[in-house]
Amino acid sequence: METMTTFRVACLYVVVLLAGVADFSVAQDAGCPAMKAETATSRWFFGEVWSKVASVECIKCHRRGGDAEDSRLILKTIQLENKSERAKIQAANFAAFCRMARLKKDGQSLLLQKVVGKQDHGGEQILKPDSSGYRILQEFVRRTNAITPSHDQHPEITAKPFFDGVTMLDNRQLLRRATLSLAGRLPTDDELRLVQSGGSEALTAIIDQVTREEAFYERLREGFNDIFLLQGVDGNPDSTVLSYEHFEKTRLWYQKYDLSHIEDEQERRQAEYRLAREYRAALLSEPMRLLEYIVRNNRPFTEIVTADYIMVSPYTARGYGVFDELKETFTDPKDPFEFIPVRLKALTGRNQRENQDSATGFYPHAGLLSTFQYLSRYPTTETNRNRLRARMYFLHFLGIDILELAARGSDAAAATTKYEIPTMQASECVVCHRTLDPVAGIFQDYWRFDRNFALYGKRKEGWFTDMFGAGFDGEELPATERWRALQWLGERTAKDPRFAIAMTEHAYFLLTGRRPLLPPKDIDDPLYTARQRAWQTQRGEVESIARTFVDSGFNFRTLIGGWIQSDFYRADGLTAAATTPERKAELDDVGVVRMLSPEQLERKIKAVFGRSWGRLNGQTAMLYGGIDSKEVTERATDPGGAMGSIQRTLANDVACRNVALDFSRPPKDRLLFPSIDPNVRPGKTDEGDATIRRAIVRLHERILGRYDAPDSTEVNRTFELFAGVVADASARKGIDPREAWSCRQGLESPVPDEFYTVRAWRAVVTYLLRREEFLYE
Amino acid sequence: MNKTTQRRRSFLRNCAAAGLGLAAPSNMSPGLHADESADLPACDGPYYIVFNASGGWDTTYLMDPKGVGGINRLYQEADIQTEGAHQFAPNDDHRDGGLSNEDFYREFGRELLVLNGLDYSVNNHSPCSRYMATGKLDSLAYPTFAALVAACKGPDCPLSFLTFGNYSATGNLVAMSRVPYLPSLKRIANADSIEGNIRAPYHDDFALSRIERALAERRAERSQQPLLPRRERAENMLYAAQVNSKALARVTPHIPKSIPKQRLAQQAEIALASFKAGVCVSANLSIGQFDSHANNDRDQMKLIPELLEGIAYVLHRAEELQIREKLVVIAQSEMGRTPNYNKGDGKDHWSIGSIMFLGPGIEGNRVIGQTDEGQFARPLNPGTLKTDSENGIRVRPEHIHQALRQHAGIADHNASQQYALKVPATEELQGLWG
Repeated sequence: METMTTFRVACLYVVVLLAGVADFSVAQDAGCPAMKAETATSRWFFGEVWSKVASVECIKCHRRGGDAEDSRLILKTIQLENKSERAKIQAANFAAFCRMARLKKDGQSLLLQKVVGKQDHGGEQILKPDSSGYRILQEFVRRTNAITPSHDQHPEITAKPFFDGVTMLDNRQLLRRATLSLAGRLPTDDELRLVQSGGSEALTAIIDQVTREEAFYERLREGFNDIFLLQGVDGNPDSTVLSYEHFEKTRLWYQKYDLSHIEDEQERRQAEYRLAREYRAALLSEPMRLLEYIVRNNRPFTEIVTADYIMVSPYTARGYGVFDELKETFTDPKDPFEFIPVRLKALTGRNQRENQDSATGFYPHAGLLSTFQYLSRYPTTETNRNRLRARMYFLHFLGIDILELAARGSDAAAATTKYEIPTMQASECVVCHRTLDPVAGIFQDYWRFDRNFALYGKRKEGWFTDMFGAGFDGEELPATERWRALQWLGERTAKDPRFAIAMTEHAYFLLTGRRPLLPPKDIDDPLYTARQRAWQTQRGEVESIARTFVDSGFNFRTLIGGWIQSDFYRADGLTAAATTPERKAELDDVGVVRMLSPEQLERKIKAVFGRSWGRLNGQTAMLYGGIDSKEVTERATDPGGAMGSIQRTLANDVACRNVALDFSRPPKDRLLFPSIDPNVRPGKTDEGDATIRRAIVRLHERILGRYDAPDSTEVNRTFELFAGVVADASARKGIDPREAWSCRQGLESPVPDEFYTVRAWRAVVTYLLRREEFLYE
Repeated sequence: MNKTTQRRRSFLRNCAAAGLGLAAPSNMSPGLHADESADLPACDGPYYIVFNASGGWDTTYLMDPKGVGGINRLYQEADIQTEGAHQFAPNDDHRDGGLSNEDFYREFGRELLVLNGLDYSVNNHSPCSRYMATGKLDSLAYPTFAALVAACKGPDCPLSFLTFGNYSATGNLVAMSRVPYLPSLKRIANADSIEGNIRAPYHDDFALSRIERALAERRAERSQQPLLPRRERAENMLYAAQVNSKALARVTPHIPKSIPKQRLAQQAEIALASFKAGVCVSANLSIGQFDSHANNDRDQMKLIPELLEGIAYVLHRAEELQIREKLVVIAQSEMGRTPNYNKGDGKDHWSIGSIMFLGPGIEGNRVIGQTDEGQFARPLNPGTLKTDSENGIRVRPEHIHQALRQHAGIADHNASQQYALKVPATEELQGLWG
C-alpha cells in the first residue's frame, strides 16, 4: 500500500542540462551584469549550480504548479523543446538565479539564507551550511556580486566525443541482434545481403518490416507486461477483473457452456478446464492486446491512454455480455485469442445506485488507464485512497517514480503528528502530495476495494476533503468532466512531453532489459562529472528519439528503429581498455549486454536449432530469473550458481538433442552441419581439416553471430576442442561406437559414431551454447 | 589447499572484483578448468539470514511495548513482560498460531540484542524498504547488506546471495539467486548428467574436461582484451556462475525429505541446506502482509508469532545442522505502525521502529535505544549507547548498516568502500555488539 506523507519528488520534472548548454551565452538580464558575455561563467553555472543544486532541489517547488509557484524564484523545465527554445529557457533560469543571488536581507544573501531554512523558506532547510551544494551556491552568489568578473577560472575543457574508442556492431551483426530481439529469429540470407549492400537505409527498412511480424507483437506484449505487470492480477480474473456488481450474470459464462456433445466424461472435464483456462488467459491479455492493436494498425501510441475502446475476444466478450452483438464481427468466434476493439456501454449495477455515470451512455474508456485489469492490478484501499494508482500512473505513463528518489524528511513521525493534515500542510509532505493526490482524485469513482464485488463505485461520503482536489499538473478537474475523469487525464497525458520521454524509455527497456540512467545525486562523488556526462549523453539520445516519436505522430516503431540505430544499441567493444576511473564510469552502462530471459532464450534456441528447448518454463523459468508479475516483478540480470547450472544443463541437453539429429538429415536440410560429413576426422588430410574449419565458422555464425575467419584464434580454439576430444576418444579403449542413447533418439536416419566425431561435434556445440554470445544479447 | 585451487579462488575473486570495475583477472592458468569445481572451497561461515517483516511490523506488540495512551488495545502497561534485560508485549493469549513473544524471549532472550527507536526517516514502503535493506535512502544503486556481505565473503559461492523477496539490489557486486522451491535445489544439482542422474553424464569425462578448458582459456584470453565494463562484468559473472554451479551437488544431501508447511520454514530450509553445503553466504527471508491498515491487532497477532516461529525454526534447524554457532540472524521491517488506531481499527505507517540481532559476536540480553510514551525516538548517544537528549543522535539505517559492516569485518572491503555510507566517526555506534 502506498500512502505518502514525507517525501520529496526528486525528479518530478525532467531537466535537461547538456543539449543546450553550448547554445547559451548571455543572460539578457539587467540583474546579472557580471554574467554578461561570460560563457565560462554561464557554463560554470549550468555545470555546478544548475546540475548539482537547482535541477535537483529547487525546481521541485520553484516552478509553475509547484508548491513555491508564488515565490520570487520560478524556474522552467526543459522537455522536448527545440534548440532556440531551450536556449531561451536556460537563459531565463540563469537570469532568475542571478536575480535571487543579488537579493539581500539583513546584509546577507537571501538565497543562502533561504536554502538553509531561514527567512521563512517554505521548503525549510534544503542544504546544510557545510554541504557541497551550499558551497556551490555560495560561490555563485560571490561571482554574481563580484565587481570584477572572473574570466578564466573555469576554462572550457574540450572532451573527446563520448563514444570515442567504442567499437560498434557492423550492420550484419546489428541486424542479427535486432531480428533475434524483436522477432526471435535469425536474419535471412536476403536480409544480410541487403544490409551489406544497402547499409543503414536497408537496415531501417528491414527493421520496420521485422516489427510487422507476428513474433514481434508477441515480444511487444511480453516486454510491456514486464513494465505494466498486468498478468499479475490477483485471483481468477473472471472474478476479479469482471466484478460481481456489474457482470454478475455473464462473467462465469463458461460454467454453463454446453459441452454435452463431448461424450467422454473425462474428456469433457478437460474441455471445461481448458475453456476456463483460455478465458482467463484472454482476459489477462486484453490490455497488452490493446497495445498490440495500436502498433499493428499504426495508430498513435498515445492511445494507450486515450483509446476509447478495449480489446475483447469471443471468450471475454461473453464475460462482458456483448458476445451476441459482436459474434458476426469475429473471424472465428471460437478462437479465444482473436481480439477486436469494442466500446463498452456504461456499467449497469445490480441496483441503480451502482450504475455508472455517463453522458454518452458508453464506458469512458481511456486506454490502459480505465481497463479493469489495470484497476484490479493496482487496487485502492480505504487508507491508500487511490494513491497507488496515481503513483503507478506517474511511473508508467510519465516515467516519474515519485517514491524512489524521495529525499529525507527530518522527522517524519513528528511531521505526522504536528499537522492536522500533514499531506496538505507539512512542506515535506506537500511537495509530493500536491502532485500525487490530484491524480488519485481522478480515480475517485473507482472506489471499491473488494474486487470480487466491484471496481467501479463512488465513495458514499464523497471524495476526501483532506486531500488536494482532483486534477492534473495544477489544473483542476471540472465537475462536468468527472464522469470521464480518466479520459480527461489521458488527453492531458498524451500532450505532456513527459509521456513521449517515458515511452522512449520504455522502448529502451524493451530492447535492453534495463531502464535508462538516472542523474547522479552525490555531488561529492569524485566520479560525479563522469557519471553526469554519461547520463547527459544518454538523456540527449532519449530526447532525440522522443522528438522523432512525437514528429511521427507517436508511431511506436520510430522508437524501436531509433534505439536500434543508436550508438547505445550498437556499442559493442573498445579499441583500447578504459584505464581511468572517470572513463570507466562514463562507459559503465554502455552496451546492451543483456542476459536473455527464459522466454527469449527459448526463442533463440528455436531460431538456431529449429525448435525450442521447452524446459525454460514454470519453476525452471523462475529459477532462471523469470518473473510471475506478482511477487517477482524484476528479472534477474546476472546469473548466480543456480542459473549457471541451468545454463550447463541447457547447453548439454540442446546439443544432445540436436547434433546427431542434424547429421541424420540430408545435408540440404541441416541447420548446423550442411557441408560436412560426420565422419570427417581432424588431422587426416588438409582438405578434411579445412572442411572442419569451415563447419566451425558456420557454427560460430549460426550459434554465436560471429563472423570468424577459418584461421582465427576463435576457430583455432574450437578446432582444438573438436580435435582434442576425438583424439582423447581414440586413445581410450572400449568407447561405444554410437552416440549416447539419449542423444540418438528420434533420428531421421542412423548416425554411427565410430570415430567419436559426432560426440565431438556435440562437445563443440555444448561449448558454444555456454558462451556469452549465445546466452546474452 | 593446493596451488591450483588457490589460483582458482584467486581468479574467481578477480571475477567478482571485475564486477566492481576493478582489475580484470589476469592470473588465470589455461590449465584451470571446472573439473576443479569439486575442489571449490566451501563458504564456511559466518552465515547471515535477514528476516524481513514486509509491510511494517507493530513494534509495540513485540520488543517495544507501550500499553499506554491507547497505543495498544490488547494489553496495558502493567501487563508488559520481562525476560532479563528485555521488555516485551504479552501476546500468548491473543496470538493466532505461531510462537508467542513469551516463548520466544524465554528461549532466545539471552542471545537477543534489540535496538529500539530506529528512525527510518520516511514512512513509505518502497523507499523505506530500500533504506532499511541498504542503509542508503537516496540511491537505487546500493546493495542490500545481505548482497554486500555475500560479495565480500563468498563471491565464488554458487548461491552466495539467496533472496526470497524484499528489496534485493546487489549493486552489481554479486549475482542474486532465487530458489523459490525446495525441489528446485535438486533440479539444479548435477547439471552435467541427464535428468540429474550422475550415472548418465551427457559427455564423457575427457570431453567435458576439454569443454571446460576451452571455456577457461577463452575467458583468460578475453580478460586481456579491452572490453566495455558491462561486458567485462557479465562475462566474468557468467563464467563464475557456470563453473561454481558444480558445487551445487553438495546441497542435495542436506535437502530435507519432507517440505515444511510454514512459509518461512520453507525458505529457511533452502537457505540452511545451502549454508550447510557451503555454497551460500547470506539469505533474505521474507513474509509479507504486515501492512495492517485495517484491523491491526488481528493481523499483527497472526504475523508476529509467525515471524518468531520462523526465526525459532531457523535456529533449531541450524542447531541440528551444526551451523548454529556460525549463524547471524537479523530481523527487521521497513517501518513501524502508528501509535494510534485509524477508523478501521488499523494502524498506518510510522517512521520509528526496531531491529533485532542474534548470533556469534553479538552479546545478547541487551536493549539499546528507546522510544518515549508517544512512540517517538529518543536520541541515542553513539558513544555510550544511552539515551541522551543533549548529545544523542537519531539512529538511522546507515548507522545500523555501518555497524553491521563492522561486525562482519567488511567495512574496509573495496565493495563497502564503493558503496560508502559516510557515517561520521562520531556517530558510529560504539560497542553495539557488546
